[in-house]
Amino acid sequence: MSAAPGIQPAPAPTPNSPPLLDVRDLVKHFPVRGGVLNTAQAKVHAVNGVSLEVRRGEVVGVVGESGCGKSTLGKLVIRLIEPTRGTLLYAGRDITRLSHSELMPLRRRMQIIFQDPYSSLNPRLTVAGLLKEAVRFHRVVPERELDGYIDALIARVGLRTESKGKFPHEFSGGQRQRIGIARALAVRPEFLVADEPVSALDVSIQAQVLNLMMELKAELGLTLLFISHDLKVVEHFCDRVLVMYLGHIVETLPCENLHARARHPYTRALLGANPVDDPDDRRPLTVLRGEVPSPLNPPPGCPFVTRCPLAMEVCREKMPPTESHGPGQAVACWAVNEPVVPASSR
Amino acid sequence: MLTGLKRAWESRAARKFRRNRMAVAALAVIALYLAVGLWVLSVDGLKALGDSTGWWNVRSAPLVDALSTEQAGAVVGPLEEPGFGIKPRPEERLTAVKARLDDLGKAFRLRARGGEDREARIRAALAEINYGAVRVADRPVEELRAQWEAVKRQYDTIAESPNLDRDPAALPALRDLEAATAALFTEPGGVRGFLQDFRLSLGTDRQGRSIMVKAVYSIKVAIQIGLVVAIVATLLGALLGAAGAFFGGWVDYFVVWLYSTLSSLPDLVLLGVLVFMFTGSVFDDVNRPYLSLVPLYVAMCLTFWIGPCRIIRGEVLKIKELEYVQAATAIGFSRLYVLIRHALPNTLHLMFINFSLLFIAAIKNEVVLSFLGLGVKSGTSWGLMIQESTQQVINGFYWQIGAATAFMFVLVLAFNILSDALQDAFDPKHVG
Repeated sequence: MSAAPGIQPAPAPTPNSPPLLDVRDLVKHFPVRGGVLNTAQAKVHAVNGVSLEVRRGEVVGVVGESGCGKSTLGKLVIRLIEPTRGTLLYAGRDITRLSHSELMPLRRRMQIIFQDPYSSLNPRLTVAGLLKEAVRFHRVVPERELDGYIDALIARVGLRTESKGKFPHEFSGGQRQRIGIARALAVRPEFLVADEPVSALDVSIQAQVLNLMMELKAELGLTLLFISHDLKVVEHFCDRVLVMYLGHIVETLPCENLHARARHPYTRALLGANPVDDPDDRRPLTVLRGEVPSPLNPPPGCPFVTRCPLAMEVCREKMPPTESHGPGQAVACWAVNEPVVPASSR
Repeated sequence: MLTGLKRAWESRAARKFRRNRMAVAALAVIALYLAVGLWVLSVDGLKALGDSTGWWNVRSAPLVDALSTEQAGAVVGPLEEPGFGIKPRPEERLTAVKARLDDLGKAFRLRARGGEDREARIRAALAEINYGAVRVADRPVEELRAQWEAVKRQYDTIAESPNLDRDPAALPALRDLEAATAALFTEPGGVRGFLQDFRLSLGTDRQGRSIMVKAVYSIKVAIQIGLVVAIVATLLGALLGAAGAFFGGWVDYFVVWLYSTLSSLPDLVLLGVLVFMFTGSVFDDVNRPYLSLVPLYVAMCLTFWIGPCRIIRGEVLKIKELEYVQAATAIGFSRLYVLIRHALPNTLHLMFINFSLLFIAAIKNEVVLSFLGLGVKSGTSWGLMIQESTQQVINGFYWQIGAATAFMFVLVLAFNILSDALQDAFDPKHVG
């Protein structure tokens, strides 16, 4: 397993090692039920044809505003929810249609860390109880080594071993998030989805938890899909970032030198919305106007067209194709792509 | 287990509960009722054991034997006597004396028959007269007869008085007459005397059975019905509701359809029909009184699971979307394991509250059904007592209905206070 903590920019795929996670054209529609017969009246287009690749040892960030489908994507790739369409390849194996029991051995290899440290821990299980449950289930260590393993795990995430008999409500938010990380790591996974792991925490605690995750990532050679709405955190933590808008990935780019590389008007707007920690550095704000269109009824062309400062006639009609812009970068935008590769040539 | 109990005792909910004095008092009352119910149950058990093995005859220990199915059906005194030793009007007192004198007279008028000696027949008849522990005095027949004739003459003079209720001079004479009548009998002393006072403390019903014993004995019936129905219905409802919510799809459709259909029928009608279906079956057999409650159990369990089912279904619908349930799924546990280990334990507080609500509902419904003649058919229960007293209330005799209502009221009130306190104690947003 490659333990190199950063591969920047994302390397071209080597033919003999398939990406750890290969998602092709993933779609998730949630039916909205109603009416007398409780039939599907409409569909929420949560994830709308997303393709991505995650290599071993890579940390891929997913950013976007709330409701853009980031969390749904995270849960889709580890099969916590069923995709409507598309293909999921995990380590070269198609896992899209595996049943609950067929997935069971794979579950050990991919885990998730949740956003809300308050609802992600069962209030009726002690720390040791919830960790042991997972370790026993997958027979990670022999029974006689169990206690030692749990103690080491608790110590590793920065909690005191004496607290293993305590219940979740006896911990602070940051401590709870550490327990959540310990639970995800208890089965020794290789791939981790971190669904906004720090956005519910105070800034000072955020840094602690992020540092812990970085250490663990380097130590255990983890591959991460890091979901966040905070570009700063992603820039600091990830190798590559996917920018999502209304169920689409609008731009993929390496995290290094993010400001200079960003091309898509939405990515630029997101970067512009980030406060700068220097009072003398005054820049003109590019404020997006309007609202995100309803995912119940997305616009036919580019999803960003209703708010895009560069919107053109073609944007309203056709979805822009995703075009490569140098190593590790790809953008889906008519305005950005056209000068480079004419749309007609595709 | 022990640490679990300790943890429960020290939990926030338990501390909040203990601070609520009313709730603690209610819990004490319920504990007392439970103890009485268990006591009656074990006395009945001991009695059956003693009868079949000859190991120990409970009847030889009057204090232990005071409350049992047998005692609840035993005649202990005159018919429809008021409680608290309250003397009825002089007319009624005179009637009571006459009833006792007549009982003796019947025995004395017996003649010799067959090979039997007349005196032996009379003695046998006298020995059979008893008002509970009160028996005919143990004296030679002739002496007793002479004494009885004297009292009878005394009675006749008083009975001639045209308006006894308004005649002040009649009262001392009446008191003398009562004393003389009592002298014909032996009143029990010691423990038996105390027990006799206890039995007569709330008066007697139309068959001369003790209202006090019946009311206390009915605690057992009520608690039996309450416990069985509340436990079974809560568990059944919780399992169905949780399964429907958790697995969704056709399981949920079925559960929702089932409870919507059942709850569209009036509860009491459904109960009545269900109980009526058992009429004439094995469960309606006088020789098998222990089966007579089964129709009630079945009917109530089949109707009462709806409440907990709805509530637990709603809660599990909420819990199943919580991240700890998703985390458990991500680990790879089976759906059933996640439901039982992660979802259901977090509805435990709702099960407790539903249990205590159903307990009351079961007791009240037993009373209603028994009153309608559909519930407890033979034996004793508060419902049967109230049904019996419909005739007595017309005559101004309130002891039986009063006793049954009071005993039931205390239990139901205590349970209401308890479920209220449980609700508050388990509610994280309630401050107190």
